[in-house]
Amino acid sequence: MKWLNTRLTRGAKSNLHARYLRKHRLRQLGVHITRLTLFILLITGWEISSRQGWIDPFIFSSPVRIWTLFLQMSTDPAFYQDIGITVLETMAGFILGTAAGTGLATLIWASPFLSRVLEPYLVVLNSMPKVALGPLFIVTVGAGFASILAMGIAITVIITAMVIYNSFQSVNHDYLKLARAFGANRRQLFCRIIFPACIPDLISALKVNVGLAWVGVIVGEFLVSKNGLGHLIIYGFQVFNLTLVLLSLLIVAFLATIMYLLVSRLERYLLRHR
Amino acid sequence: MSEGGGTVSEPIAIEAKRITKTYLSIQDEIHAVNPITFQIRHGEFVSLVGSSGCGKSTILSLVAGLIPPTSGTLRIFGEKVLAPSNRLGYMLQQDCLLDWRTVEDNITLGLEFRRQKSERTKSRARALLQELGLGHTLKLLPSQLSGGMRQRVALVRTLAVQPDILLLDEPFSAVDYQNKIYLEELLMNVLSKRKMTVLLVTHDLEEALALSDTILVMGGQPGTIRHTLKVPKELQSAAPLESRSKSSFRPLLNDLWKEMER
Ligand SMILES: Nc1ncnc2c1ncn2[C@@H]1O[C@H](COP(=O)(O)OP(=O)(O)O)[C@@H](O)[C@H]1O
Ligand SMILES: [Mg+2]
Repeated sequence: MKWLNTRLTRGAKSNLHARYLRKHRLRQLGVHITRLTLFILLITGWEISSRQGWIDPFIFSSPVRIWTLFLQMSTDPAFYQDIGITVLETMAGFILGTAAGTGLATLIWASPFLSRVLEPYLVVLNSMPKVALGPLFIVTVGAGFASILAMGIAITVIITAMVIYNSFQSVNHDYLKLARAFGANRRQLFCRIIFPACIPDLISALKVNVGLAWVGVIVGEFLVSKNGLGHLIIYGFQVFNLTLVLLSLLIVAFLATIMYLLVSRLERYLLRHR
Repeated sequence: MSEGGGTVSEPIAIEAKRITKTYLSIQDEIHAVNPITFQIRHGEFVSLVGSSGCGKSTILSLVAGLIPPTSGTLRIFGEKVLAPSNRLGYMLQQDCLLDWRTVEDNITLGLEFRRQKSERTKSRARALLQELGLGHTLKLLPSQLSGGMRQRVALVRTLAVQPDILLLDEPFSAVDYQNKIYLEELLMNVLSKRKMTVLLVTHDLEEALALSDTILVMGGQPGTIRHTLKVPKELQSAAPLESRSKSSFRPLLNDLWKEMER
């Protein structure tokens, strides 16, 4: 008990501070413990209900079955290929989509006339469910990597362009006044003021796009269905191996979280000065 | 406006002839400035005072070449203003420092835009920073500075391009009283060493009286110049804080108040 108390009050500057720290850290500890308990309860509850037949084990599988399948598949190189290809498609999709969206935003910023002309097109394209374009991609660029990548890009590019263009326009006008008084031309204005000022919004877009790209890629793999985690899900569904479906889902969730955390890390690094 | 800081022999730095400005938009047209005529000789310190919305900032933007006048002509050292002139420095109430750049890279921003960035101009900018007592902040980011310090950095950035004319739009309005006086003193110090024409917009009558050679009182909407006040020599030569304590200061301030309320 004494040991716990010293841990809880470590680094305290005074008695008052120690009490504050203890309270704060106890609450923090409570959150962690509850989180872990909840996780264990869910997993064991799932396992027990499946074994007792409270839920249909054929449909809902069970944690042990999923784990066993995972161990079994992890010896198969094809499994890693499936993971690798999906990760590659997603990363390429969201990076290219964000880049292309930013490029498009720059283009319409450079020409106010063009921005007016393109506005309704952007609105229509943005409202359109991009996954509906799938068949079109397949017939134009083939049922493979290119189609899936195209889907990942299509789902991110327009919304990125709109968000970033908005961000370009919302830069404080005093900054632009000042730069113009210094004789800055439009190009200098963009490169030295507007673009750097919008980097935080660009990174937010990146974070949103990670999630969107996963949607695009998984749906793309559903349609093309040759390899990748999306294919595994569809395949598992077709042969009614729901354990495979659930395993693939868990892996997707895991990888998507990792990617999101990496982008958050990148954000903190890039914005460390602001 | 030929007495005061600028003598008759000096060239005319800013000349406005019957300039007007009307802002146009789909819904409306706003007459911001009625015909205004004035001349400022080189080396003169002129303040533009008047209630909010009477077109002071508009006049500054016109002189800066940021917006064209609706009618009338504006000349800077005899040349018609068509675009921002190289001889101008412009400063706003907001310091507008780029928070992703260090102080060093902020003060050379104007030099960059004018393609005058060189070792020589950079070291000149650093010397100015030193002169304003901020030599130690060179590698810091704006977020690490206090409001008064930020505004001083903005002043250095403006001065770094060696302007002949300073256009100041309420530059000291956002800082506390103590810092304001300090900034005023710094500005007057800089001006005592370099010859510059200053056009200062302020709603602070005390400030106008303490710093200027001439005060233009604006009023109305659309705004126009209602009154021109020559500041007595003894106030012109006194430092900003000292000036405020002179016996002739209060009566003049009262006169200005009355002019404003008219
Ligand atoms: N860019 C603009 N577009 C339309 N109206 C403007 C613009 N800038 C200023 N105005 C209008 O012109 C008038 C004068 O404004 P301003 O010059 O900013 O006055 P001041 O600086 O004296 O407060 C105000 O009525 C203001 O609303
Ligand atoms: Mg104003």
